[in-house]
Amino acid sequence: MLSNFAASAGFEIHVASQSLFHIGDFAVTNSLFTGAISMVIMFSVFAYVVYMVKNNKYNRFIGLTQWTFEGMLGQVDSVIPDKKLARRIAPLALTIFFVMLFGYWMSVLPGLDSIFYNEVPVLRALAADLNFTFAVAIIVLLTVQYFALQAHGPIGNLKRYFRNPIKDPIGAFEGLLEFIGEFSRYAALSVRMFGNCFAGEILLVVIAVMTSYFSVVALPFFLIFELFIGFVQAYVFFILTVIFTSLAVESHGSHDEAQPNITDHSSTHATKPAVLTE
Amino acid sequence: MTGPLQQFAASTHEAGGDIFSSLGINGQMLAFQAIAFIILVFLLGKFVFPILIKAVDERQEKIDAGQRAAAAAEAKANEAQDEVAKLLKEARGEAKDIVATAKDEATAMINAGEEKAKSRADKIVADARDQLEKDVIAARKALHNDTIELVALATEKVVGKSFSEAVDKKVIASAVKEQV
Repeated sequence: MLSNFAASAGFEIHVASQSLFHIGDFAVTNSLFTGAISMVIMFSVFAYVVYMVKNNKYNRFIGLTQWTFEGMLGQVDSVIPDKKLARRIAPLALTIFFVMLFGYWMSVLPGLDSIFYNEVPVLRALAADLNFTFAVAIIVLLTVQYFALQAHGPIGNLKRYFRNPIKDPIGAFEGLLEFIGEFSRYAALSVRMFGNCFAGEILLVVIAVMTSYFSVVALPFFLIFELFIGFVQAYVFFILTVIFTSLAVESHGSHDEAQPNITDHSSTHATKPAVLTE
Repeated sequence: MTGPLQQFAASTHEAGGDIFSSLGINGQMLAFQAIAFIILVFLLGKFVFPILIKAVDERQEKIDAGQRAAAAAEAKANEAQDEVAKLLKEARGEAKDIVATAKDEATAMINAGEEKAKSRADKIVADARDQLEKDVIAARKALHNDTIELVALATEKVVGKSFSEAVDKKVIASAVKEQV
């Protein structure tokens, strides 16, 4: 239905990002191009912030950036009680947050689906490319497994998924679910970000087409809404990365162990936010 | 519901029947983006975040130090308040003693003053009485003399001749003595 509407309105919807030009065999897609622009903006912002912070010069923008950064760091510290581990995972989690944020916010740039190069729209947010969101999700998966291996050892980590079904049938089933969950939660993480960003872009184009000249009044509301959704999605990706790490490294204790361990386990969970499981 | 699914199936077919291709997932692009992201994490983790984390930690340290200083200041203020209360209590006690002593001294002074005034008044009264008695005696004496002179004059007039002064006095004195 949406495709029919798009076709009648004169624009096309492509789930996959499109190739703008080629460098050798490598296709530079519109999302990659826009992503590169967003990274330049992000690096410029960080360079400015770092320069100002290093020279003890502060203004409202620096204050806002530091406030956001401090809030994010505080979230990492509160979800992962081990401060050493929190500081090790923080660079990845914070990079995810800021890259996703800047990548998502590129979708509100004017010129979306109106600037073309080789009949391909030039602007497409980085987060609206499954390659990127999958790549980040895979990196998160590998990082979480790395920390889990460090915390439990190879055998201990395997025991999280594979248990003796004769001794502990419920635990074995739970482990199997956990094993499937290890893949599904990261797939969900990446598809959620992609879906939101991609749908947001389509929404903006549809609103612009439907409202025609009135779009100058209608679009700003949706742009603000998109900025908000972008922040929320970046935060969700960030916080889930931290929570998955926390879950993977926390001492579960096997189900046939003594009661005190189970009590400890539940008390650890009690401090976690409600979004622990997908 | 079948419309979008059919369209997706058609696009999948166009893309060569591969679901990943129809979603735009490309192994080469995935690897490129993953490597680019890892480099990004490294760069930000090496050059940006440590500075910001340091600033946050320093700020937190300053806040903690401020809180510690505030707690110490509060403790000192409490100590000072206790000290002030103690001093006030002592001062009040001392003031009470001073006031009591002053009252006693004032009472003693008043009493002494009263005593002094009374004794002085008594002395004045006594002196006045003495003076009065002296005056009365002097007045009597003067009256006595005047009376003798008057009697002498009267007697002269009656007798018609004068006597010597010594005789007069002798006669008059005996007359007066008789009268008295």
